[in-house]
Amino acid sequence: MLLSNLLVVVILMLFAGLVYYVRTNRLWRESAQSLWKRRPIAVTVVGLYFVVGILDSVAWVGGVDLSKTQDVVAASKPRTIIDRMFSPETRSERSYSAPFASKEFYGGADLTHPGSYWLGTDRLGRDVLYLAFKGVKVALLVGGLTSLIVIPLALFFGVSAGYFGGRLDDAVFFVMSTLAAIPGILLLIALITALGKGTLQVCVALGVTGWVSFARLARAETLKLRESDYVQAARALGVSDVTIIMRHILPNLSHLMVITFALLFTALVLSETILAYLGIGVDGSWGQMIDQARDELSRDPIIWWNLFGASMALFILVLSVNLVGDAVRDILDPRTLRERE
Amino acid sequence: MVAYIIRRIGYGFLTVLGVLFFLFILFFAVTDPDDIARKAVGERAPPEVYEQWKRNKGYDKPLFVNTEHGWLSGGRYTDTLLVDHYTRMLTFQFGQSDADDALISKRIREGAGPSLMLTVPLFLSGMAVAVMVSLFVSFFRETYIDRMALVLCMLAMSVTILLYIIGGQYLIGKVLHWFPISGFDPDPTIVYKFLLLPILVGLVNGLGADVRFYRTVFVEETTKDYVRTARAKGAGEIRVMGNHVLRNALIPILTQIVVAIPFLFTGSLLLESFFGIPGLGSLTIDAIFGNDFATLRTMVYIGALLFVTGQILTDISYTLADPRIRLE
Amino acid sequence: MTKSISRSSLWVVIGVALAFLTACDNNPYTPDDSSKKILYTWFREAPKTLDPAVAYTTSSHQFTGVIYPSMLEYHYLKRPYQLTPSLAKSVPAPEVLPNGYVRYRFDMREGAMFEKDLCFEELAGVEHREIVASDVVFQLKRVADPAINSPVVSVFSKIAGFDEFIKALTEARAADPDFSSRRIDQQYKEAGDIEGLKTPTPHTLEVTLKEPYPQILYWFTMQFTSPVPWEAVVYYDGQDGRDHLRDHPVGGGPYRMASYNKQFRVVLERNPDWWGASPAHRGAPGTVYPSEGEPGDKERGRLDPKYVGQPVPFIDRVEFRREKEAIPSFGKFLQGYFDLSGIIQESFDQVIKNDQLSEEMVEQGVRLEKSVSPDVFYIGFNMDDPMVGHAAGERGRKLRQAMSLVVDVEEFKRVFTNGRGVPAQSPVPPGVFGYEEDYQNPFRVVDKEKAKKKLEEAGYPGGVDPETGQPLRLTFDTADTTSRGLLQSQFYVRAWRTIGIDVEIKATNYNQFQEKVRNGAYQIFNWGWVADYPDAENFLFLLESGQARSVSDGPNTANFQYARYDALFKQMKTRANDETRLEIIREMKDILAEERPWIELFSRENYALYHGWMQNVKPFGMSVPFYKYWDIDPDLRTENRAAWNRPVLWPVYVLVALFFAILVPGIRTFYRERQ
Repeated sequence: MLLSNLLVVVILMLFAGLVYYVRTNRLWRESAQSLWKRRPIAVTVVGLYFVVGILDSVAWVGGVDLSKTQDVVAASKPRTIIDRMFSPETRSERSYSAPFASKEFYGGADLTHPGSYWLGTDRLGRDVLYLAFKGVKVALLVGGLTSLIVIPLALFFGVSAGYFGGRLDDAVFFVMSTLAAIPGILLLIALITALGKGTLQVCVALGVTGWVSFARLARAETLKLRESDYVQAARALGVSDVTIIMRHILPNLSHLMVITFALLFTALVLSETILAYLGIGVDGSWGQMIDQARDELSRDPIIWWNLFGASMALFILVLSVNLVGDAVRDILDPRTLRERE
Repeated sequence: MVAYIIRRIGYGFLTVLGVLFFLFILFFAVTDPDDIARKAVGERAPPEVYEQWKRNKGYDKPLFVNTEHGWLSGGRYTDTLLVDHYTRMLTFQFGQSDADDALISKRIREGAGPSLMLTVPLFLSGMAVAVMVSLFVSFFRETYIDRMALVLCMLAMSVTILLYIIGGQYLIGKVLHWFPISGFDPDPTIVYKFLLLPILVGLVNGLGADVRFYRTVFVEETTKDYVRTARAKGAGEIRVMGNHVLRNALIPILTQIVVAIPFLFTGSLLLESFFGIPGLGSLTIDAIFGNDFATLRTMVYIGALLFVTGQILTDISYTLADPRIRLE
Repeated sequence: MTKSISRSSLWVVIGVALAFLTACDNNPYTPDDSSKKILYTWFREAPKTLDPAVAYTTSSHQFTGVIYPSMLEYHYLKRPYQLTPSLAKSVPAPEVLPNGYVRYRFDMREGAMFEKDLCFEELAGVEHREIVASDVVFQLKRVADPAINSPVVSVFSKIAGFDEFIKALTEARAADPDFSSRRIDQQYKEAGDIEGLKTPTPHTLEVTLKEPYPQILYWFTMQFTSPVPWEAVVYYDGQDGRDHLRDHPVGGGPYRMASYNKQFRVVLERNPDWWGASPAHRGAPGTVYPSEGEPGDKERGRLDPKYVGQPVPFIDRVEFRREKEAIPSFGKFLQGYFDLSGIIQESFDQVIKNDQLSEEMVEQGVRLEKSVSPDVFYIGFNMDDPMVGHAAGERGRKLRQAMSLVVDVEEFKRVFTNGRGVPAQSPVPPGVFGYEEDYQNPFRVVDKEKAKKKLEEAGYPGGVDPETGQPLRLTFDTADTTSRGLLQSQFYVRAWRTIGIDVEIKATNYNQFQEKVRNGAYQIFNWGWVADYPDAENFLFLLESGQARSVSDGPNTANFQYARYDALFKQMKTRANDETRLEIIREMKDILAEERPWIELFSRENYALYHGWMQNVKPFGMSVPFYKYWDIDPDLRTENRAAWNRPVLWPVYVLVALFFAILVPGIRTFYRERQ
């Protein structure tokens, strides 16, 4: 419990640091402003998802009347703010009910909480909206955590290969082309089959599959930058390699990072749904919800809200990130940068 | 040119060796052959059956160093799983499935046909449609058609393939009765019926990303000098697009094709499984569910092999497509 | 150029539209086959093996059950289940020998042949040969062979000399490395005879058991005791491009394997050399449609004079198509492309209204057959576990009782099976002697208050473990990683959470699950058992200590060990179905009710659907295929398929219209802007 709260603090501090950095740097500030001008809705939506993810990570114990609850165990465990908002321990039904319904879908018995489920309830009578909200954290974890593992790793290998060249470059390039030669989904499957099932394993597997393309980009870009005048100058002045990389190379790769992050994120979240279908996804993900709900389409009358809830949550997130990523690319594209300066 | 091709092939071979090593680590060092054996012969099997099984499969050898052989004997380093793994894979002796002892090479031969029947038309029609649509869209660039198309692409890209498959089966198969919901029959008079729906679904799934990419390429080309020159010479817009732009956009398109080859495999994995097409993708999914590591291993290897081959072919075709590129 | 692009795009659109119009036909079969008597059905996963000494699953029996002939078979229509002769001329009666051994004597039919197969050609130069008693002995020796690894060795250990044969064979192989390389029938011959299996004449088989075991006759309906030609075993060894026996059955039953592609299609065809089809055996039981059944069969059209006494089989070919997903396969049933189907849960409400077929279905001519299968699904506790098992003593018992008291099967049925299924109060399912409808297990009611009390008595008030101050943490192991399986596991876990027990779901793949079971590293698991034969012994043995997983790797996965239960089991198993047996079974049930090694869930209730063109279909509880009695009216089928599958084409026109609707103003805008 403490750990997840601590993590939230760390993430928020990182975020604050990022905001501060963006505000102080003219170029980034302008970019951020122009992003906001172009895609106010998409940015807000991404922000909202982020907030939900954070709210679903801050947890503490207590606050439930044990005599009223359907789920003594959950009530005595740390519960997140999202849990508290939806209080699934007391608010659940026996089985399916349609959005805003006051009666059960089958049998027509009265609901215990009529009209309070915006997206209906699933087979076990759980609030679909709540489950969709819970999926946010999983998606951010899968997409975000993996990206956060991948990008530093890829930067490290890509930049050092590009900068130092020689044997190191050959070795890194060989590993990259080896991994890139294995079709992504097969590599994922092979990794998860060998590593076992679980959130961390899925993230690691996604990470191993995902880092190559970015590392390639970083390597190519570093190769170019290494030959640039100011790096040459810095070298001539005897500035150490590490300093050059930190001062001159990394900042020039930052736009790549942002763009890759957006692309990688959506790809990861979408890949997870395929893994969920194969039974090796992450528990509580939208992919799992879609997989559970896919058979419900053939019910008569049709049960659509479960599939709808999960796929809309997924769709909106991916769409917004795509839109934001797209705008970021337009704004940060080196050519536009050059034109502005 | 020849030297380049040889070098390129040599590097491709090295990559394949790397892939094999990766597979070895994953499937022999990380996964214990004992587990596979127990699963295959059943946990109630007496030890001798289980040892026998491992012997039959050749899984009983040590990983890297065989201490049964003396220091100076060659067998010390060759009579091992690692060497066996390499020799088997490189000579295409894939052996038998871990799950039911069927010959993997036979399975692959049987599965390749249906897989190709699905993926080749899907690939070609996907490319044709994407190029056509994006030419069309870039022809109308900066009009409402262009903007609408871009939004549609973005929407289409944000939907998971799972949803396309479920929706396609439900709508087209079940409600509209256009095609069989699923299934397969190699009989040439009816085989096309089973392929149309998965191809359609695959097409829709890939279209968004492809159109966006091609459109960018085309639009970028239209800003180049030669286009202005051609226009100045009085060439019509359609002639410019169809002739100059398309030809010059070939290289980025070729690159995209290589990138698409592994995705071909990805898409067909789910498509085959859902639509009941007995191809390689379906085989792979069965292998996952059945813990059939031998088949899985082989499929990954073959996927990588195909990819590397595709890459080499593309690199060579670059030089053919654009005489300016000299790679020697 | 202008024209060519717009023209070409026009052509593409028209071409696509035309392709749709011509290709719009969802019949997945070759059109020529529609007039033939072919049964179309499906399989989800090809069985791992069709070797009759090993195959022990429903998915394999649906093929092997009609390919390999058996000594006895079940009467198709009569209930309770009744054995009838088949390859044996009569059902043998037990004969008690002076030393307490029991002997059964099977007189086999003469002139029954194996199917024609290449293996006879290659090894003996003949097309096929006669089935003799020694072929059954050969098969039973295969069951004994440790290298074959048959799952039912312990059953046949009751045959005198069976274990000695195993020992002799093992020793011979260990002593002489060359022994294993000899031909398999030579190995068996050299390892010696099985004392309790004698063939006084080529057509007589004498089986002697060391102890009374009346259930042995049921095993003679199964393929473990089918005659198997040694030629097939020798020839189909998987070497040099030859098949494995497990993929290439060589039998002599009413059907033979015409094609076996595990990936997408299995085809059975009428076996012209089936003994039942030869004039010499015309009219024997199992070769003609039965004339008697249970009450109600006549009303359900199963004793139609058109069929009674007619030689079987009626259907020429059975085609199994592979369907990995349930939804498409049911969709195809509704479209008429599969002849029969279970009801998938998702479509239940569409098909069944108020426990009756919906009007729509009745109009389509679909018929419904309900049956309860002799099986039991349960949640088991690993009794070797220190927390929930024997070692926890009184506390463990109370804990198990409490957990049993909150699992609501009615609710489970409502949520997951559309209310189908008979809640189980004991391991003995309906249709089996020892099942009593009015029996109420005191711990298989839902009583949360009592459960809480029991939990408190167990020393976990409110589910909290006083030692840690935390809710009790247990693990639930399942081999089902599908989303649906996960939902079901969550259902149980939710029930236990209401009394404060925190159960964690560990869904692993089958491999890892087996590993856990082998290591005893599991606490709570769910499992099911489908009857081999309809006798209480086949269920109650699942909790006998001799069968404990940790002791003998037996099917008693709960590792339940209870001296009194074992003693009762011993008395019960050899008794005929009389009042005393019932008394014993009752006491055993009471022990289980109190001890709770299992939380019994339910026996499945099957709702099977058949199209109007299917005749003579009757559900059978155990996995025994009876295609030979079924019939099909292909003309009616063709007619219905055509009527049910008219393609709906208007969306094509709409799409084409939409395409032009977007295009035309686009072109106009374009020219306005550019010029």
